[in-house]
Parts: sequence; structure tokens; C-alpha cells
Amino acid sequence: MTDGPLIVQSDKTLLLEIDHPDASACRMAIAPFAELERSPEHVHTYRLTPLGLWNARAAGHDAESVVDALLRFSRYPVPHALLVDVAETMDRYGRLQLVNDPAHGLVLKALDRVVLIEVAKSKKLAGMLGAKLDDDTIAVHASERGRLKQALLKLGWPAEDLAGYVDGEAHAIDLAEDGWKLRSYQQEAVDGFWAGGSGVVVLPCGAGKTLVGAAAMATAKATTLILVTNTVAGRQWKRELVARTSLTEDEVGEYSGERKEIRPVTIATYQVLTTRRGGVFPHLDLFGARDWGLIIYDEVHLLPAPIFRFTADLQARRRLGLTATLVREDGREGDVFSLIGPKRYDAPWKDIESQGWIAPAECVEVRVTLTDEERMRYAVAEPEERYRVAATARTKLPVVRALVERHIGDQVLVIGGYIDQLHQLGEYLDAPIVQGSTTNKERERLFDAFRSGELKTLVISKVGNFSIDLPEAAVAIQVSGSFGSRQEEAQRLGRVLRPKADGRQAHFYTVVARDTIDTEYAAHRQRFLAEQGYAYTIIDADDVHSG
Amino acid sequence: MVRMSTLADHLRALPDDGLAALIRLRPDLVIPLPSDLSALAVRAQSRLSVARALDGLDRFTVEVLDAVRYLRPDPSLDAVLALTAQGGAGPARVRAAIDELRALALVYGSDHALHVVGTVDEVMALPAGLGRTAAELDPAAAELAADPAKLRRTVLGAPPAARAVLDRLAAGPPLGALATPLADDSPVRYLLEHHLLVRVSEDTVELPREMALVLRRDAGPLGQLHPDPPPLAGPDDARAQGGIGTRALREAQKKADRAGAGQALEAVRQTEALLEALAEEPAAELRTGGLGVRDLRRISRATGVDEPTAALLLEVAHAAGILGDDETGFLPSTLYDGWQVAPLAMRWRMLAAAWFGMPRSAGLVGQRDDKDRLIAALSPEVERLGAPAARRALFDVLADLPEGIAATAEELAAVLAWRSPRRHGRNRSLPVAGILGEAAALGFTALGMLTSYARPLLAEQADPDEDPLGVNDTGAPDAAAVLDALLPPPVDAVLIQADLSVVVPGPAEPALAAELALVADAESANALRITTTSVRRALDAGYSATDLHALFARRSRTPVPQALTYLVDDVARRHGGLRAGTAAAYLRSEDESLVAEVQADRRLAALGLRRLAPTVLITATPPARLLEALRAAGYAPVREDATGAAVLARPKARRAPARPAVTVRREDPLAMPLLSPARLGGVVEQLRRGDAAARAARRAPLSVRTATQNGTNAHNDAMVVLQQAVRDRARVWVGYVDAHGSSMSRLVRPVSIGGGYLRAEDERTETQHTFALHRITAAELETT
Repeated sequence: MTDGPLIVQSDKTLLLEIDHPDASACRMAIAPFAELERSPEHVHTYRLTPLGLWNARAAGHDAESVVDALLRFSRYPVPHALLVDVAETMDRYGRLQLVNDPAHGLVLKALDRVVLIEVAKSKKLAGMLGAKLDDDTIAVHASERGRLKQALLKLGWPAEDLAGYVDGEAHAIDLAEDGWKLRSYQQEAVDGFWAGGSGVVVLPCGAGKTLVGAAAMATAKATTLILVTNTVAGRQWKRELVARTSLTEDEVGEYSGERKEIRPVTIATYQVLTTRRGGVFPHLDLFGARDWGLIIYDEVHLLPAPIFRFTADLQARRRLGLTATLVREDGREGDVFSLIGPKRYDAPWKDIESQGWIAPAECVEVRVTLTDEERMRYAVAEPEERYRVAATARTKLPVVRALVERHIGDQVLVIGGYIDQLHQLGEYLDAPIVQGSTTNKERERLFDAFRSGELKTLVISKVGNFSIDLPEAAVAIQVSGSFGSRQEEAQRLGRVLRPKADGRQAHFYTVVARDTIDTEYAAHRQRFLAEQGYAYTIIDADDVHSG
Repeated sequence: MVRMSTLADHLRALPDDGLAALIRLRPDLVIPLPSDLSALAVRAQSRLSVARALDGLDRFTVEVLDAVRYLRPDPSLDAVLALTAQGGAGPARVRAAIDELRALALVYGSDHALHVVGTVDEVMALPAGLGRTAAELDPAAAELAADPAKLRRTVLGAPPAARAVLDRLAAGPPLGALATPLADDSPVRYLLEHHLLVRVSEDTVELPREMALVLRRDAGPLGQLHPDPPPLAGPDDARAQGGIGTRALREAQKKADRAGAGQALEAVRQTEALLEALAEEPAAELRTGGLGVRDLRRISRATGVDEPTAALLLEVAHAAGILGDDETGFLPSTLYDGWQVAPLAMRWRMLAAAWFGMPRSAGLVGQRDDKDRLIAALSPEVERLGAPAARRALFDVLADLPEGIAATAEELAAVLAWRSPRRHGRNRSLPVAGILGEAAALGFTALGMLTSYARPLLAEQADPDEDPLGVNDTGAPDAAAVLDALLPPPVDAVLIQADLSVVVPGPAEPALAAELALVADAESANALRITTTSVRRALDAGYSATDLHALFARRSRTPVPQALTYLVDDVARRHGGLRAGTAAAYLRSEDESLVAEVQADRRLAALGLRRLAPTVLITATPPARLLEALRAAGYAPVREDATGAAVLARPKARRAPARPAVTVRREDPLAMPLLSPARLGGVVEQLRRGDAAARAARRAPLSVRTATQNGTNAHNDAMVVLQQAVRDRARVWVGYVDAHGSSMSRLVRPVSIGGGYLRAEDERTETQHTFALHRITAAELETT
């Protein structure tokens, strides 16, 4: 019996005890094929999924190495059935290949004839396959490349796409490495992507995904379409690109609700592309507007469903997906795999952490006790009003101020979900407010002031608090806000609290009304923040006032 | 030398231990105990017993027996040796086979004159797959067979298609089915025309023995013999690769043991999960017996165990006695509680032993029976009495393999077919793959090998009577002990994390498992989570917040996260914050002192008033009595309704509940009822008839009226009178007992007596009467 750090469970979850001396080695060994699901302080949970195993196959790992890693690090005997299942699943990837035949164009080629016969009979592939060229080869309509890959994945026989890419319209792009250098893992990520042609690079928040995108563009040296989640994120991309590459302001266009510029490098928002007017997507032409040599998808895990459909038609173009996680709330990981591409690079998390590029924030839940009057108001409130009543209790205001004062000299963000409360906070703290109705221009102004340090405290609403880049914020105080999805919350935290230049610890406070539904929501948040590996403590409001 | 001619003589000549050895090999011979050796000999030659003895023979022994049969009328050992040598069998193996046949008394007699028990021919096909001689079949074929040179020429001259048919029949069995009508160019037609084949019935042809021998000239008359079981690919592969050393084999076995132990652990865990699911919600038994498909699916989904495995494990659990049933359906039995806390290896051994011995085939669950009905788990249809023997046969083969050698299902089936061709040969092969699948699911086998911890189980299954005192105990390790060494040791500590998940880094020891089951909800085999609900459950079960803090501190290998401390305190603070109970009535007042006064009033002590709040008292006494008692004590209580409004209670006169009024008749109730003319007529008629009957009865002679007291003589006298009356057609007074038991008498004219009945007519009413004779008590002629 070995005494490894890993417990392999028959439901295909792997429990990794991270205090074990072999834990890092084990993490390195299993990361290529297992998805990290939860990472609380002692035991991390990984899951074996068919997609994860196929991603590993695409990255060149074979079943034997996977089984070996499991056996080597497992503390207890691994159930026989699980090993058999892993080997069989991995064996299914690449039995079918999409290749470019010099005579017939795109063809589906079988390394295993029986599989080809099986899938050719499937109704799901009806209309995608053309004539049978020989026993092992079937012609494929070029327009069906993406949909065929999707359908084959659903059938459990993911095809390896070796059909190659068009080069697109050339455009000179170089990295301007003046005073900074691409980090080694970023270079590895770009190399991994370029070798595979298309695919997803997984890097944690704050690990410099934008630079990976820039480096990929510099490698492709072609016109590039960048798809981002929203306008603010788009402008950050533009700023980064102008600063870090040979591109000038004029070469980078913004294609958003406000501006419709098409330049050699165009940054478009998901929102504008998925806008529908009269049942059609009016901005779809953007994909054909230029002969793009590279398409970059930022935050692949948030990619909206229509974009997948457009992407199915873009299979001949190089596609780079950037994300912190492959887990999607809607379960469409399979579409990312077949349409954007397999995972090409996954940062060895430990390395990045040890190099100090991400510093997990300290999360603190501050519990305030409502006054009797507030408690009564809460007790008699209608069920749908209860959260609002608890979350917007005035008792929270002095606590927030005490927290702001505690971090005097730091950049503090105060986040709230209710407009009335934001105004109260703004008055109480004497700080400006960014909310849904604030114009983009005003937002930019306030954010710039905040970044420059001119403005120390900023009150922002829910709309402003994700996909913004405020690296100087060292403290965030969440006063109210609806309970979002798992990774939205982590994202928010990750974005707001970037690693500090001087290595100071970032703080994330949540002010919660004791014994109300507010505490229950906080418990959920606490659970997934703990799962994300953030340290979490609960303190009493009195401690804040006294300390 | 005297030639022993009968089996009885042979048996009689056997020494005692020889006889004992025979009876040991064929115990069915002495059940019931035969009276003497002749009777034993008769039984030893009975069809059933011979068939049973033959069933146990391996393929080679059967072939040697065929050789003896082939050599009749005078088979000798030398002849057998010579004949089998042609088939490629060494003399030592042949002698051993003959010895075995002799020991079984299938063959007896000296080396010079071997005898085969005659019944063998009835039980077995023709020897060595050879047909009858040509002479027995057909004169034309006999003529051909008599000329060896011509026979050879004819055989060699057959066209290839015909030759293929010949070769197939020559390899045996010698009979072939005939397609009718026969095509003109059919090879069989050619063979029949050339008398190489003989048509023995409408649709069967037979290859005469002489023709087969010509075709078998390479391997001898018996064909190729099989002194050794078919080889397993495993060892050969190993040799081909330049020989795997014993160390490599041991490594392979170790690997299999580990994989198997993982699976064994899994099987125990899954069984527990399944039974827990049944404990939570027992599954009703189907009317036809067994567990419904829907219930199986529910349990499968709830536990994450796939349906076939769930069916297998439930069958095994049932066989092991830990799954029982009562009127609510299937649920864990009392034995389960003991099983649950036993060490893992013991728990596995209990399951594995139950599986090995259970006369059921779980693989049938989910298939359809002859009537196309789904076979349900735990139903009578799953029973297969031969299942334990099949498993034993299969695992005997596996157990004979050296350690580290794996075998596939096909290889095992081939070995089994060699070991006892009559049992597992063609057309009756065991469901080897199915049995192996079940064995792998239980961790009995792994990677195609018998696990080292399952091996002792096979020995344990041997007859315990053999060595009742354990004198010959070889000290072989117990299955549970071997498995135990492979299993992770149970852990008694957990890791508790800030996300309130609890990780048990190994199989939990029973005490820990019980505690965790109470305070946390299972998320997977080794991970649980503490939730508000689970903490509340623990508090409900009697833990206090302090107990829980202590429990977590004691069990956690890491510092208890602050979040958990807060959770426990939060839940505990609110736990019991609301109290519910029953009361028959309450007493409330704005006046606290009045409430206190009532509570302190000794006269009201019997009411058992309890103070809930300064202004509220409750009691188990109903409101009416409470009010009464209070008033009697001089208080002035007022009753209130559910909304709190006072209920006025003016004194009321006592009244019975209302009842419907009696309907008032319009006519004078005392007036005579009116009768219709028709009704009147009927009444008159009835009266007259009654009167006539009464008068007639009065006229009946006294002897008839009182005849009941007179007994049998009166009855016999009556019969005489009646017979006379029938002849004379005279009128008779008949006394009888009617169906209600009362004595009656009637004046009738008898018509006939017969079949136990008197038929007579009553002239007065012009009706026919039938009297049961035994009911007639008296008869007397009418005195005119």
C-alpha cells in the first residue's frame, strides 16, 4: 500500500490532500486530465470527465500515463472498473480525424473502420457527410466542419481536427518588450496554442491572459478579431495592446454598441454581436468583414450560445480561447471543446502562485446586529422584501465607515446592490458613485481617478463590479448584492483584487446582518469562496469598531 | 484364470477399502442402502448412476473409455495402449485413465479382459464419434467396405465438396442431417450414390465405421486424442516474451489483488448504500415476488450504482441475510446492523461467500422470461439451482492457475469443456462471461485473475464434514485476513474545511461513520458536508452545541474552521427557539396577578395548570370542565372562540337534540283499512284452504298424527300400507315430517313409490305431492 496524497473515488472524483508532501507532484500529474472542482484549504476535489480526458489526449497524454498517475498517487486500491473506464474513454478520441484531402477537400478519415460505420449510420450526422470515398474515408462539406465535430462529440467519438487553417490577411504585429518580458508560462501557452492551431488556454485570473492574446497575435501576424464580454473590457484590451505591441491606436478598432469601427485588429463585444433585430443578427457580417487570421475569445466560459453558432462556420480560422476555468454554468463545455478547440495549455497553478503573480485575498464576513426596530421591520417584511430589508439596514453604514477608516491610505471599493443604499453610502462616506445610469465617459473618468490614486474610495453598483480592471483596489467592501453564480463571484473578487505591486494583502469584506436571510446568502458565498481557496473569517461588527 | 463375467462378481472380489473407495466416488450407490452386493452391482449399472459417473469424467478419460468400447469384444489394456498411442497419448496417462474408470466401476476385469459396464452404451453415443459398421447399415456399403483397395479409391476419388462432407462426418459425430429434396449436384447425393454414406432415415445419413477409419488413418481410429487441457494464452505469452520470472508473476498477482481490493471495498460500500436507501424507503414486494423495476431504478439513481450491479448486490445481500423483507417490503434485516459495524474485510467475505453459494443467477434480472415478462430482482425467476456448482467448476479452473496468470472467458470455457465435456461441452456451456462479470464486480477476481484473498473462500466452501475437528487444518490464511492486509486501515479522524466539507481520508471506522452520518450529509464516498440541516439533526438527536464543538475538535485532524464554529452556534442558538406542545385548554388574562392567583389556588390543583407566560396558563383539562371548576372556585371566567372573541354562555334549559316529527296521517288512524276486492278474494281462498287442511288433519287417525313416537316399526308398517294403497289406488292418510321438522298429515292417493320417494295426488287440491320416504312416519288407509 502506498501512502499517496490522492483518494480516487468510484464516482470519478479525486480528492487531493494538499498538505501531503507529494501533493504538488500529484497535482502536476493529474492537472492535464482532471478538472479542479473545488480547492478549499486541505483537500482539493478534481473530477475526471470524458472532456477532461479527451483534452488530455489532445495534449498528447495517453491512457497509460493517466492510469499510471492515478495508481502512483492513490492512497488506496483504485477500483478496477474505474481504470477500465478511463482507458476506454480516452481511447475514443481521435479514432476519427478531419483532414484535408488534396483531391476531395475536407474528409472524415477513420483509424478504426467500425467507428466510421457506426457514426455514418447515426441520424445526428444526416446531411453533414458526403460521398463515401473508400472504406475509411467519407467526404465532408466544408461548411459542416464545426457542426460535424459537435455531433461527433455528442456521439462520444470526438474527432481530431487536422484539416488546417487559412492564414488570413497578413498584418505586422510585434510585441513591444520594453522593460518587461513575456513570462515563461505565457510563452509556453502561446507555443502550445500555436502548435495545436486552435484551442483554449486556461490561466487563473491575474495571470496575464491579455498578454497571451497579444503574443498569439504577434505570432500569427495577421488581422485579428477579439471578442470580449463588454465595452469596458474591450477598452482595457485596446489599452494593453497599444502599450504592449507595435499596434497603434488607429489600428485597433472598437465594435460595440457605441462605435462600429472595423480595423486590422477589431475588438467586439459579445453583446453587440448577439443583438437581434427582427429575428436576425445585424452585426454578423463582422465575421466576414475582413479575412481574419485569428479570432480571440476572451472569457470563453461566458461565451453566449449564438456565438457558438457563428463559430461553427469559422472552423478554418485559427481560434484562441482564453479563460480562467473551463467549467460553464450552462454545461456547454462540449461546444467549447469541439468549436473553439481542446485545452492547449493549463498553467501549473503552483508555479504561478509561487512566482507571486496572484495573491489570494483575505475574505472577512462582518456581522452586524440589527437594532430592535430594524429587526421588527425585517420580521414583518414580505418574503420577497426580506433580503432587501436586511441587506440595506442602516446599521451597516457605521461599520462600512469603520472599515474604510481602518484601511486609510488604501484604495477602497464599496459594492452594493441597491441604488438607495448606494446613495446613502455615497453621502455617508462622501464618495462618488458608479451605477447603471452612469455614462461610460463618467465611468472612465472615475475609474481613471481611482487608478491614479486621486480618488481613494469609490462606491459602485453591481453593473460596474465585474469585468473592470482596478488593480489598485486593495480593499473591497460588499454591503449588498444578489447571490451570483459560482464563478461570477470568484471572478469579481479576482478582478477587483489584483496582486499588489508591494505584495500587500488584499481584503474583501462582506457586511452581513446577523440572523437574517443575509447571513444565509453569505453562507453560500462563504462556501464557494472557501472552495476557491480564499481564506475566510467571520468577525463581529464590534470588533471592527473597537479594532 | 477364471474370467469374471459380472460386475457383481467383481464387486464381491474387491477388498473392503476398494468398495469404500467406490462408494466414496459414487455416493449415490448407497442411497438408499442396497441389501447386498448384487443389488449394489445392479445400481452401479443403472442408467442414472452411470450417467452421473460419466458426467465427472474429463475429455481424455472419455476418450480412453471410447477406446475400450471400440476394442470390444476383447479389449485388453495392451490393445488400448496401442490404439491410444496412435492418437498421441502416452501410456502413463492412459493407464491412469483406465485406473480412474476402474475405480468408478465403469470398467472392470483384468488387464487382459477389460469389461465396460453395458449401460455406458445406453448413456453415451457411439464410441469415438464413429458410426456403425457398414454391415449393420447397408449391404452395398458393406460390399464396398469389404474391399479396402476399392474403398480407398472411392474415398480418394470423391470431389472436394464431397470430401469436405466426409471429413466432417469422419471427425464425428457420424450422423448428418439431410436437406430434402436433395439437389442434383449435392455432394451428399454423390456420396450416397457411391455408398460412402448410408441413408438411415428420411433426413439422416450415417458414415459407416470403415469409411471413417480410412479417413482417420493419420491419427488412428480414435482420431486426435486430448490428454491435456487446452493451454491458456497467459503462460504461453509469457514464454514467448522470453519467460516472465516468478517475480514478475508475483507482481502481476499483486497488481490484481490491489485492483480487486479496490473493487471489494467498492462492492461493500455500494451494498451499504443500497441497503441504506432501502432502509430509508423500503421497496414493496411485487405480487409475483421480487423487487419492481421502478424501485430498482429509484435505488440505483439514489445511490449511483448502475442497475445490473445494484441487482447483483441486492441479490447477494439477500443471500447473505442482511437484506430481509416484511410486510412493508424489502429492507435491511437485523443482521445488517451487525454487518455494518464489522471490519471491512469480514463484511466483504460475508458477501463473497453468499454470492459463491447462492443458487441464483443475478444476471437474469432485467431479461425477459419465456412469457416475455421482465425478470425482477429478488424474484423466484432468478433462482438457478445449478449456479453454485457452475461457479465452483469455473473457480476450480481459475484456482488451478498459478498466481499472476490471467485467463479470458473463452479460455476458461474451453478448459471447462475439457474437464467435463458431458457437463460443459458443446451446447451446454456455462455462462462463463456472466459469472466472471459478477466476480469482477465483487472483487472476487481482478484483471482476469483470482484474487489471493478470494482463494481461501474456495477452500472454505469444501465439505466441512470431511474434517469436523479441524485436525488437518493447514493453517491456510482466512480470506478476510488476507484481504484485510490489502485494505486501507480504517481511519478515525477527518479533515474539516472552511467550505464545511468533511473529508474522510479512508474507510471510516464504525464509530466515526455513525457520528458522521448524524452530523453531516454524504456527498460522495469520502466526502461529506455539514449543513444547517445536518447540524439541526444532530441537535435534535440530543447533541448540544458544546458536544458538537467537542466532536469536531476530537475528530478533526486540522483546526476546526471558524465557519463551522459559527454555523453550529448559529443553528444551536435558534434550535428550540420555538416550542410546540399540546394543551386541551388555555387560560389567559391581562391581569398577571389574577393569573398567579389562579395558579396558586389549591382547589384548582387537580386541573394541572401550567404557566407559559405571565398572562397565560394551560391545562390538559377540556375547556368545559375548566370553566366549571373555575366557577365552582368562585372565579368568573369567560369562554373565547378560536378568534379570541368571547363566547356568550347564557344558562339554557336542557334539551334533547331535535328529531323529525311523526308524519300526520290524513285518515282516521283507527278506521278500518280498506281492502280491494282482489285482495279479499285471496284472503278468503287462503282461509278456506287452511280450514280444509285443519279439518283434514283433525280427521286423520290418531295413529297417523302421533306416529312420530312409534319409531321404526311404524315406518315399516307405513311402507306396507302405502305399497298396498298404490296397488289398490286407495286413499291413505300419510303422516310425515316436513322440511321444517314439524309433523304433518295429509290424505292422498298414492300413485307410485320409487327412488326413495312416494308420489301421490291430493284430490282435494288437485296437486301432486312428493314425499321423501324417510320422512314418512305413518300411513293408514282411509276408513270410509
